[in-house]
Amino acid sequence: MRDVLVAATVMASGVASAGTLVGKIELPSNLPARPKPVEPGFVERYENPVTPVRPLAVTQRMVVVVEGDEKPAAPPRVQWNLVGESFGHPVIAAAAGAEVTIVNQSKTARTLVAKEDPKLIDPGPINPSGPKTFHPPEAGKVYTITDKDAPYLVGRVVVVNTQYIAYPDESGHFEIENIPPGSYKLKIWFDTGWINRPDEDVNISAKGKTDINPKLGADAFAGSAPKK
Amino acid sequence: MFLSKIWFFLIALAAAVALTIALVMPRPAQRQLENEEHARLTTACSVIDILLTDAAHDRLMFTQTFARSAEVVNALDAASGAKELDANRMKQVREPTGKLLASSKGGAAPDFAILIDKKGRVVSRLKIDEDDFGDVVSGRPLVDDALAGYLRDDLWTQNGTMYFVSGAPVIRTNPPIDYVGAVIVGHKVTNDLAADLSHRLSAVDTQVAFYLGNDDVAASKPLALDHKPMLDALKNLTGGDISRDCEVNKPLAVNAGSDAYTAMVARLPGEARERGAYYAVFAKTAQSRGFMGTLDAVRKSDLSFKILIVVGIVFLLVLALGIGLMWIESDRPLRALQTDAVKLAKNEAERLAEDKHGGKYGSIARSVNIHIDKLGRDAKSARTNLDQLLGPAPEGSLGTIDLLAGALPASRPGGAVATAAPPPSDFKFHDPAPAMAAPRPPVQRPPTPVPTPAPQRPSAPVRMTPTPPIPAATPPRGVAPPPQPQTSNSTQPLSLDDDILGGAQPGGSTEPEVNPYFKQVYDQFVSVKKSCGENTAGLTYQKFSEKLIKNRDDLMSKTGCREVRFTVYVKDGKAALKATPVKDD
Repeated sequence: MRDVLVAATVMASGVASAGTLVGKIELPSNLPARPKPVEPGFVERYENPVTPVRPLAVTQRMVVVVEGDEKPAAPPRVQWNLVGESFGHPVIAAAAGAEVTIVNQSKTARTLVAKEDPKLIDPGPINPSGPKTFHPPEAGKVYTITDKDAPYLVGRVVVVNTQYIAYPDESGHFEIENIPPGSYKLKIWFDTGWINRPDEDVNISAKGKTDINPKLGADAFAGSAPKK
Repeated sequence: MFLSKIWFFLIALAAAVALTIALVMPRPAQRQLENEEHARLTTACSVIDILLTDAAHDRLMFTQTFARSAEVVNALDAASGAKELDANRMKQVREPTGKLLASSKGGAAPDFAILIDKKGRVVSRLKIDEDDFGDVVSGRPLVDDALAGYLRDDLWTQNGTMYFVSGAPVIRTNPPIDYVGAVIVGHKVTNDLAADLSHRLSAVDTQVAFYLGNDDVAASKPLALDHKPMLDALKNLTGGDISRDCEVNKPLAVNAGSDAYTAMVARLPGEARERGAYYAVFAKTAQSRGFMGTLDAVRKSDLSFKILIVVGIVFLLVLALGIGLMWIESDRPLRALQTDAVKLAKNEAERLAEDKHGGKYGSIARSVNIHIDKLGRDAKSARTNLDQLLGPAPEGSLGTIDLLAGALPASRPGGAVATAAPPPSDFKFHDPAPAMAAPRPPVQRPPTPVPTPAPQRPSAPVRMTPTPPIPAATPPRGVAPPPQPQTSNSTQPLSLDDDILGGAQPGGSTEPEVNPYFKQVYDQFVSVKKSCGENTAGLTYQKFSEKLIKNRDDLMSKTGCREVRFTVYVKDGKAALKATPVKDD
């Protein structure tokens, strides 16, 4: 459900021939557990005695990015939905200069601010069903968006030099369409940083699908544990 | 007087000690009171933390039990498979679970419950916003943890209200075992909850209150405590381990109107901590602050009869001791001076023993002695004047009759006192006596008599004696005349007029033989009488000489002197005559 909440619209529709990148991220068997709460209650949390607890849903915090040599001339518009008590996708990637619109689909007004640059988002609350737009200016930067009234509400925007971005589903599948033929590098972002693995070369053909199944090692999530 | 003075000093010292004790004594007691208050509040704070933790455990057990109920499992299992949630499903879930929730009683009865499917959607709300459903509440740490299979508690805030919340996963136990959702149960933080906690703290008599930043949330006692000192104290609690807040924090003074309270604050955990949630335990500040506060705190029971008896006895003993010492010290010197004065009056002493008396009594003794010395000097001066009038006694004479002899005390000027050592008072009062007391050199009388003209003042004695000669000049001041020969007190000034004049007969007997000395005295006498304006008619040499002879003979027979010298002088404006026996050396 979350995947559909994030939409990236490719504005460069004038490409004559383009391919599609399809893949599945092979996750390690030992996925990290959910981190301990930053603000615990009176009692330390404990696991239920019936069945093992679920591991951290790592794919929800992943972004697959395919970067080529050319920078996007017209970065596509990005919609980022705020659903209930959290962002539809905790982490998004956006091309430098792209228009990012936050849409509040919850029942509560939110006042969002970027920790790294308080001026990035215009001040003032976002009422239910209301939007708020901002433009991340420079590639390579990461912006953490929070609400002071809801400290648990945290979203991150990764600014990249490409418009070819995908968000894997729970099983790790992803798909990027309309990629011009050529040679690209595939990178995977997890929560707070790039996953520690060599960039994978991807050759996109003029037509058809290109399959790629990036494999993550057991140490892929080391040092990039999710932070609330 | 030393004891009298030391007594006052002791009284002042005792008063100072008593005042010091009165002012200082409350301080250790106050310090101990504050320490006890600190310990009491620390205990209360820690107990509150324990009670809240125990209550969190109880709520988790309740939530887990609720999450295991078949009604909840089946409802969420069905909802998790649905693409969309609708009102019918919400009502189908709400009714049975609502009845189940209503069956819980007592402190475990929650104020709300939220049923969430495995996708994080709200299937139903119970006892709060019951018509709202379908919204996504995943994202909150408690919900996400519960959906992942964890049991935990949290503290939520909403619209100024605080809720203790607990979450538990809902698990379908029928194969295949799977998570189908979570339930969240909330307990509102109310005044009743605070009162219940305070009641459990009745042993330490402490109140409890919950705050959300500057806002009051709940309190066991409706008091408008000043938030500022409590918020300031919270700023010092920067550590991540809030369970140690009660240990590291210190009591602080807060006011509620005019009432003073001592409080201790500790942070509350969970999401609410981010919004400044904390609780405070407080108690009314003890009144006994300082001396006056201690007095205010004294009750009737503190003043027992035994204490009053002891204090009374001590007071009477000290009073008796003080009065006794004062009586002794004030009466003894007076009695000593009295004894000394009696000795002086009985002529057993010539002076007051001023060295034996101290202070004012010594001053009195010195004053008396100074006056005695003054009288002595006056008497001595009077004698000196007499000697000047009469002239020095001839060699071998018995001395000049001292008309003041009977008026002077036994200790006469120029006698033993004059030669005694100068009293201390002489030095203290710069009396000239020391100079007078110095050894007096003998005065060399002039070898040849020089007649001195009689003074013209009627009241002054007139030296008219032909022999022996008198000193040509008055001895210097301060120098006593040379020692006089022993004089006799048997003679008196002669009363001649009555005998001589009264007995004068005109045409008397035959002319007697004329004694040149008597004739000279006669002539002087007549001359003096005339100079005094007295009548000399009827005064004959014969009668005069007979009287002189008779007196001379009487005096010689009484005193055994060799001869008698007659001196004419003026007394009370009239001519007078006195006889002076002259002894051989």
